[in-house]
Amino acid sequence: MALVRKIIAQSTVDGPGNRTAVFLQGCNIRCAYCHNPETQSLHDDEAKEMTAREVFEVIRKSVPFIRGITISGGECMLQTDFLEQLINLTKTEALTALIDSNGTIPFSQHRKLLDLCDGVMLDVKAWDKKVYQQLTQATNDAIVKDNLELLAKENKLAEVRIVCLPKSSPIQTDIENILQHIAQHTEIITSNVPVYLIRYRPYGVITKLKDQPATPDYEMQHYLQLAQSLYLNARI
Amino acid sequence: MANIYDIVTSRKLSYEQKVNALAHAAEDTLDVLKISEKTHFYLDKGIICNLNEGNAPYRPRYIMPDYDKAIRNGVKFLELEPPTDFDELLTFLQILYRHVPSITTYPVFLGNLDKIIEPYITDLPDEIVEKKLRNFFIYLDRTITDSFCHANLGPEDTRAGRLILKVDQQLKQAVPNLTLKYDPDITPDDYAEQAIVTSLHVANPAICNHKLNATTYDNYGISSCYNILPIGGGSYTLTRIVLPRLAQLTDNKDEFLNTLLPDALHCMADYMSERIRFIVEKSGFFESNFLATEGFVERDRFVAMFGLVGLAEAANHFMPEGKKYGNDAEADDLAEQILKTISDFAAQYECPYCEIANHRLLLHAQVGIDTDYGITSGIRIPVGDEPQSIYDHLRHSARFHKYIPTGCSDILPFDITGKKNPAAVLDIVKGAFQLGQKYIAFYADDSDLVRITGYLVKRSEMEKWNNGKVVLQNTTQFGAPAYSSGHLADRKVRHV
Repeated sequence: MALVRKIIAQSTVDGPGNRTAVFLQGCNIRCAYCHNPETQSLHDDEAKEMTAREVFEVIRKSVPFIRGITISGGECMLQTDFLEQLINLTKTEALTALIDSNGTIPFSQHRKLLDLCDGVMLDVKAWDKKVYQQLTQATNDAIVKDNLELLAKENKLAEVRIVCLPKSSPIQTDIENILQHIAQHTEIITSNVPVYLIRYRPYGVITKLKDQPATPDYEMQHYLQLAQSLYLNARI
Repeated sequence: MANIYDIVTSRKLSYEQKVNALAHAAEDTLDVLKISEKTHFYLDKGIICNLNEGNAPYRPRYIMPDYDKAIRNGVKFLELEPPTDFDELLTFLQILYRHVPSITTYPVFLGNLDKIIEPYITDLPDEIVEKKLRNFFIYLDRTITDSFCHANLGPEDTRAGRLILKVDQQLKQAVPNLTLKYDPDITPDDYAEQAIVTSLHVANPAICNHKLNATTYDNYGISSCYNILPIGGGSYTLTRIVLPRLAQLTDNKDEFLNTLLPDALHCMADYMSERIRFIVEKSGFFESNFLATEGFVERDRFVAMFGLVGLAEAANHFMPEGKKYGNDAEADDLAEQILKTISDFAAQYECPYCEIANHRLLLHAQVGIDTDYGITSGIRIPVGDEPQSIYDHLRHSARFHKYIPTGCSDILPFDITGKKNPAAVLDIVKGAFQLGQKYIAFYADDSDLVRITGYLVKRSEMEKWNNGKVVLQNTTQFGAPAYSSGHLADRKVRHV
């Protein structure tokens, strides 16, 4: 059983190709720029308790038009038993399964799930601890870094995602810092792992950032150029 | 004669369009086909429609020359030696195309252009090839002033094919129509994705299910809108049954299926046979035209396209309010029953001179013409009734496409984010083709070029025509009214 917020039959922004995306309810951090804060609470009337089999039956309606599924949230790694069950089922339809995670749950403690899934799309929100804590209200940033290293080493890093807040924002960011550090993982370069630089947009945001305009083009271009100069497979 | 005077004095027709219209008017003064009284009734009611093919056909409607053979042997009639380099090839093709007739008076098929070009560009750098191709394509667009004209690419990846796509995206022209023959086992993903990105910029190329269509004949090409025809042959004629007009004659479904439909189909088949006999026995085409005498087309490689249009409205006519083709199982079942009746008829009727089709008529989902009101192309779902889910839409298509060997297609407008993730669009194509969907075309909702029913027209040119100005392309004249009467601007835009 998992608390499912919604299932999108056709998503082109949650990993490579056409995928069905499953969004689970509940998150363990509260990012200032979260654009779907309604998925944060661990209990919500609009979310629905569903078994892995029930979710799988919905996914099946998208076959053969999808190459796989992406499980997102909220933070889907809060419901790992369900993830395992669901991914096991999707393998019967030869679908790939990606996990979209904020990296706060150590994958080293979920070996079976890690082996089962086809990859993890990992959010790296900050490199500096203070920046991370400000952005997310989480305390421990080391787990994200450990996950990054583990996933890169084991060739399970499907994507790195970095939300780029504008420099004018009241919350400090350290995008350059993130890029410099992830580029030090040679596996990320050699395996050509896509690094998505996601432009901040105020849609859905409910925090003090809600009136913050979207990140301007020239800032995005700056990050893109920096990432490319570090040999990262960066995309906007 | 009033008609002829109108043509001569028109301010909306170009010189070339007047000459063609006058030739057509002259042909129509003849009355040489034996047509039964009953067939006349169906023709007068517009139930059987010859698509303005003329009263005395003097060439097959669609001609698919074997260009490979022409290039290998040269063309005696045109005093053309086999080309020895890229420049000679392009000149050779320009001259040859000029002499390939069809119903439009222009060539409807330009060959497997990537494969034709590939061996001639081996030693040339990209920039040179692109420049020459650009000039060649501009020549085609400005002289073949009718976008029922098709060049083919694939399924193999070629350097020539990639360069053609690149040039096509830059030029944004209505001619030529391009189709990529796609087979996931042969065509690499990145090539197919380049085709999709091109298509989301300039509504070209369309994607053809190679695995399925390749089984229709030994060697097929795509011509005109999306017609699947034998290379080295073509189609004598395309006549269509306008199903909603036939359905109007009765409210009794059984009478329609068991009496009216078989009767009309029989009349149409006899009428087509008569047209074919005239082309083969009287017109002299196969005895005198160099394409036939030099063996670039063979008489026994021509087929007869048995067209149908408005399956949706015909089925809906017999359904209670609210039960509609594309959305309702009962309506879909009835539509399939109608289609199967037509298919079964075509499979048993003996049609003269159609050796390659085992003397059978071959079904075609006709795209419609500009004067069709409230009649949806072939077997498509009417604009506005499209299922919410694109997956359901394509599943529906696959179910009906299997009955149609000589061409059927879906046209899907995508929102512009599709350009960012062509792999996702390709996944959808793969799924659709796996289920049996045969041919699919896209355009982006912000594109100047739009696919009307199968052919391409520029929105900007339609605007010009609607304001009473002369336009270069004949097809703009068909496209402009079809775009509004078919409510094509309201096609469901698919988000990716």
